[in-house]
Amino acid sequence: MEFTKILTRFENIPNSRALATYEKHGGYEAAKKALTQTREEIITLVKDSGLRGRGGAGFPTGLKWSFVPKTADTVYLLCNNDEGEPGTFKDRYILELSPHMLIEGMIIAAHAIGAKKAYIYTRCEFYDEIRWMNEAIAEAYQAGYLGKNLFGTNVQVDLDHYIGAGAYICGEETGLISSLEGKKGQPKLKPPFPAISGYLGKPTIVNNTETLAAVPWIITHGAAAHRAMGTEKSPGTKLFCVSGPVKKPGVFERPLGYPLKKLIFEDAGGMLDGKQLKAVIPGGASAPVLLPAEIETLTLDYEAIAAAGSMLGSGAVMVIPHDQPMMELLRILVNFFHHESCGQCTPCREGTGWLASVVQGVEEKTATPEDVEKLYQIAVHMEGRTICALSDAAAMPTKAITRKFADELKRSIRGI
Amino acid sequence: MADTVTFTLNDKNVTVPKGWTVMQAAKQAQVDIPHFCWHPGLSVAGVCRFCMVHVQGARKLEIACNLQATEGMIVRTDTPEVKEAHKWGLEFHLINHPLDCPVCDQAGECGLQDFYMQVGKYKSQMTRPKVLKPKAVDLGPRLILDTERCILCSRCVRFEEEVTKTGALGIFDRGDRAIIGTYGEEKIEHNYQENLVDVCPVGAFTSKKFRFKQRVWFLQEKSSICPGCSTGCKIKVHARTDRRTYYRVKPEIDETVNGFWMCDKGRDTIAHLNREHRLPQSQMRIDGKKQTVPTAQALESLRRAIETAGAEETALLVSAHYTVEEYEAFFHYFCDQLGVTKVYQWRAETEDRDSFDGILLRGDENPNTAGLRAAMRRVKGRTVPIKNEIATCVSKKPKVVVALCPEVPFTSPWFQEDLKQLAGISHVSLWTCRYEATEVAGITSWIPMKGFAEKTGHFLNYEGAKRELQEAFPSATAEALSVVEAVQQMAAIATITTETATL
Amino acid sequence: MAIIRVPRPPRDANVFAAAWGYLVTICSGLKLTLTIFFRQLLKLEKTETVEWPEQPATYGERFKGKHFLTLRDDGQVRCTACFLCATACPAQCIHIEAGQHPSNEIEKFPVRFEIDILRCVFCGYCEEACPVDAIRLGPEYAIVDTSEKKWVYTKDYLADRPALQGGIHSIKPENEKHTSIGHEPTAKERKSQAHHGHV
Repeated sequence: MEFTKILTRFENIPNSRALATYEKHGGYEAAKKALTQTREEIITLVKDSGLRGRGGAGFPTGLKWSFVPKTADTVYLLCNNDEGEPGTFKDRYILELSPHMLIEGMIIAAHAIGAKKAYIYTRCEFYDEIRWMNEAIAEAYQAGYLGKNLFGTNVQVDLDHYIGAGAYICGEETGLISSLEGKKGQPKLKPPFPAISGYLGKPTIVNNTETLAAVPWIITHGAAAHRAMGTEKSPGTKLFCVSGPVKKPGVFERPLGYPLKKLIFEDAGGMLDGKQLKAVIPGGASAPVLLPAEIETLTLDYEAIAAAGSMLGSGAVMVIPHDQPMMELLRILVNFFHHESCGQCTPCREGTGWLASVVQGVEEKTATPEDVEKLYQIAVHMEGRTICALSDAAAMPTKAITRKFADELKRSIRGI
Repeated sequence: MADTVTFTLNDKNVTVPKGWTVMQAAKQAQVDIPHFCWHPGLSVAGVCRFCMVHVQGARKLEIACNLQATEGMIVRTDTPEVKEAHKWGLEFHLINHPLDCPVCDQAGECGLQDFYMQVGKYKSQMTRPKVLKPKAVDLGPRLILDTERCILCSRCVRFEEEVTKTGALGIFDRGDRAIIGTYGEEKIEHNYQENLVDVCPVGAFTSKKFRFKQRVWFLQEKSSICPGCSTGCKIKVHARTDRRTYYRVKPEIDETVNGFWMCDKGRDTIAHLNREHRLPQSQMRIDGKKQTVPTAQALESLRRAIETAGAEETALLVSAHYTVEEYEAFFHYFCDQLGVTKVYQWRAETEDRDSFDGILLRGDENPNTAGLRAAMRRVKGRTVPIKNEIATCVSKKPKVVVALCPEVPFTSPWFQEDLKQLAGISHVSLWTCRYEATEVAGITSWIPMKGFAEKTGHFLNYEGAKRELQEAFPSATAEALSVVEAVQQMAAIATITTETATL
Repeated sequence: MAIIRVPRPPRDANVFAAAWGYLVTICSGLKLTLTIFFRQLLKLEKTETVEWPEQPATYGERFKGKHFLTLRDDGQVRCTACFLCATACPAQCIHIEAGQHPSNEIEKFPVRFEIDILRCVFCGYCEEACPVDAIRLGPEYAIVDTSEKKWVYTKDYLADRPALQGGIHSIKPENEKHTSIGHEPTAKERKSQAHHGHV
């Protein structure tokens, strides 16, 4: 499968974070080009490229940008760099390789939606990345890539770096907006959607770091070059984070539609010696697990994984070995979501707590085999009932584990 | 483009103004959609996720409170899917609820109880220990908060933000550990505290004043008008008629005046209506000794006194606590029939009449200033300035004074003090419902009056709007009369005596 | 009006055969009665009849007699002043005044709990309505007194009187204040409930 590395093209280039290195490799050329184009031209180009949101939902980016009312006077662009999904470490890799790629992408996106002010929202656990990002922003300001009258045009883009306090829920776009507004990080009710009324009540576009970082390449190489990679409905490349007992875990940039088995067994070097594959979580903690039989021919694109009953999500491929007790995995997952639920919507607030409590019962040896079915029922009624997707994120893996590994869970409840 | 949209709600065509939500439309069409966090007077939070409805063509169930009605939309509230969602929605609300209904004041008017009977009736799956939170937290002079009963609907938080704009309440912590509270040890001190009790759909906020006093299912409610100030909020008075005891006041929805709220001061207006504060029977000072007499006797003696002294030596001292109908009857009898011309207002000496707290409470603490003014204009033929005229009344040295006393004690603390000025007058007839009035020396007779919740009629509020006292409780004291009844009785006695005299 | 004809059973020709059946039954019945009569006369068997009021007669624990209030471990009444008994009472003979308990754990308790026993119809609804097993009707049936005031049983009298020998404690666990919705009592709980009261 032929593909060009877009996001990881600075791999193996020394001192790749520096502005000089970035400029040497054609940095800020795309922004220069884009700023001479009209907003509509850029949006059409991004629409044509078929770029989809890399944060998890896979919403077409160009379409999202086009939702911003043309008449709005103040528009904000937010970069969601709050990478909180367990098993995901792709955005930090971009910042590690080239924070300028993100800045350039944001300049283009800000121009496309008419935003004068853009924010990067980074989680506080990214100690080094926050430093690198701040350095890059300072460099860009110094070089005149940020601020007023960019590249001789009258376009103005100001970029601010905001550090979150480390809540999973602030990775949800409206939760991120609330947090940025200085409120408690809680998702907001939709409608109105952020593109109409977001940050401070103004039209706001929230994009994932990976999405924004892919924009300069598309501007430079055109929509067709982007479409040439990946599948019909999911064009382009994506970063996949492979973790678990494989020989070479890490971030891999592969075109969408790439076979999952190939990713695990060839690129990541296969399972560690003595470990067998038990299951795979293809898209971060909130994606349902898939059995080895289900991934035989599975390709990594939004449609194929959805058809298999899971989701591509953030592209965090977690490999589960044969000796991993599923009850333990379930416990970790539900405890994570219980801890991170913002407590706004009842089904999520009470449901995640209940799931965690029932699983706790296994540890206390008060659980009964019927509790497996109860877990499933709770999860079923948590799904699709809340403002944001955290409830679904807790429900979907619970449903999958309690269905696909029901016997194993029952055995561990009985203590065999 | 039309300003209305028509959509189908449970096979029924509903037409509502554009921009309305399905919840508002359902209220109008009298379709029950169970809900906790939605309140017509507050913004939409959409957090209880209980008002689920089925929209044809939608991928999943939608919440009615944030779903704008659009043309041709087909909404159902009775599909099996919706019913299941309601059951589970309730289960989620109840798994950490302490279920201490027996000691909870809200029991009987609790959303959780009502909806359990309406859409729940499931067998709980919850077998795990519940999350424990602080109970009986003192949150202000009138509030007790039980964070365990709280379902975190955020109505109270929104009330504080949107109505009183104090923002005193917030939700602390997250997930199922979240609790409602104030910052640090701060207390809620404003004059609208008990609205929090009203907006709370469960028993998390309870009123200190009403706490443990009575179970709500024993109470009857009648709508009335708050006599606390000239705003004239529409209220519901809750009382036990079998015990002739008044327990509490709640606001009644009235978009034109008070919306959904009322102030805490207004909630204290029923205390004086209970028997222990009431003048039980007519009294007269006979030979310097206070005696209980039939009302007829007291009225007869008043009539005689007026007859002896003459109408020109009689003065009427009127407070603005009575209804327009009562003033009409009172002035019709005393002025038009008997020919009394000395009519004086009786109100606080100093008052900041035009002050307004920005929400509901006004500086004019009389419910019917406008009504009294209109009635006096009719009698006097000119508009009188609003002020306390008791000193003028006394300076004119009338021989008989008929005083319509102010009814609500806390808005008329000057009452007792003012009464002392009447000491020198030979016949003073106090028409009052207040027991404390009997303590005053120099008064000749006392006629027990009905309280505001015990009569029908209307007030005119600060802007002259008609505020109707619609229903009446039987009076807490059997002898009490409204002014209309007292005047009728007096007129009847007069007729009989005149007839006897002519015979 | 329609008349439904019901077929009569055919007359039995053998009257004596039928009569014989009756005689046998009557005689066997008489035999049982007389046997017990003579056995008790000769004191071979215990007599169930007692010579009341010289001899005390006791009723079973489930008899609906004089009310009593059960106690907590610390000797206070279990009653939470929820008014459910007063609500259920068809005779409206229960008068409760609730108050704030110093302990937040208990929260609400009856300051006053009175039963006007002259109005009571001993229906037992109060016992059924009680969510905390705080009021029960006991086996005391002899309700006699001398003055009007004494007919109104106060909280103290209901909680402790000589016949209660220091008060009755409930078997229900104290922390389980109220039965949760949908929680069916287990067989064990049912059993302990059935054997409540030990006056």
